[in-house]
Amino acid sequence: MTGVSDVSGDIQQKERALLAWLRSRGSVVVGYSGGVDSTYLAVVAREALGRDGALAVLGRSASVPDDQLHAARAVARDRDVPLLELDTGETSDPRYAANPVNRCYFCKSVLWETLVPAARERGYAAVVDGTNADDVHEYRPGAQAAREHGVASPLAEAGLTKDEIRLLSRARGLATWSQPSAPCLASRIPYGTEVTVERLQQVARAEAALRALGIEGNLRVRYHGDLARVEIDAPTIDRWLEPGNGARIAAAVRSAGFARVALDLRGFRSGSLNVLSGVVAA
Amino acid sequence: VKPLESLLRDAGLSFTVDERDGVAILVPDLAAGLTPLEAADRARILQMARDAGFTHVALELDPGGAPLSRD
Repeated sequence: MTGVSDVSGDIQQKERALLAWLRSRGSVVVGYSGGVDSTYLAVVAREALGRDGALAVLGRSASVPDDQLHAARAVARDRDVPLLELDTGETSDPRYAANPVNRCYFCKSVLWETLVPAARERGYAAVVDGTNADDVHEYRPGAQAAREHGVASPLAEAGLTKDEIRLLSRARGLATWSQPSAPCLASRIPYGTEVTVERLQQVARAEAALRALGIEGNLRVRYHGDLARVEIDAPTIDRWLEPGNGARIAAAVRSAGFARVALDLRGFRSGSLNVLSGVVAA
Repeated sequence: VKPLESLLRDAGLSFTVDERDGVAILVPDLAAGLTPLEAADRARILQMARDAGFTHVALELDPGGAPLSRD
């Protein structure tokens, strides 16, 4: 296993800036999802501030797959990061359920409205999220909600990019270092199509069935009514289009309750539905 | 949809095109027989879809397969 000392000096310098930022606050609550960024941040905060200085808060809702919750709990346990779980219930907010292009704003608003008071009650000095230096260049309406609630983004402030966070995570032996990005399940539903608990669960079942089939790497089941559009990593598409494999994919997705199944011919694209809706350029 | 169907037909590819939420869904012509989609064909289809104004194109899998499970 590589260590932090094997990471380039520039990246180590950024991590030192992150540590200095955390120590200057004294104690932090980390909005924690078990993803690459927030896991690294929670672990570093625990290391820098001790058990009493760091608390990871995991938001539970229908938009978070069960396996992601299990993985997040396991990492917190293994790394002795104190963990608090809160139900966020964004799906019952009609502004969120209507699924506008700024849906993430309403989701994050509910999250921070729940989490920030919980942090204050417990006497923590700051609330932080896992936004990184790459994220600030992307379409992320949820960032506005973070700003409105005084949530800081120390990874971005330290200039740490996703790739650098992966390197630092690997150096710490965190299994998340190579984990694909895992945005919430609502990101599978086109803007303007209502987000319901049933639809989120249907997508989750379909993705779980495809993982069981052996699909690795990035995977999204995009919801289009009775039709599911499957996105997988582009280099793997031709293998899954070989005779027999297409039918296996179709059967797996149908078992989740979709009538029709289609495989995206360009493959996985982060923010695919943002492109489809014209929010960002193709 | 029609321009893409026309481009596909001119290229000798037997699909009808359905449209969902702005995505072009290629439905294999079962009467013409299912043949594996070669990588080169996939690249040509992506280009034809772009030319027809689609940012997303997907191939329906096993369109004549088992009906929806209701268990």
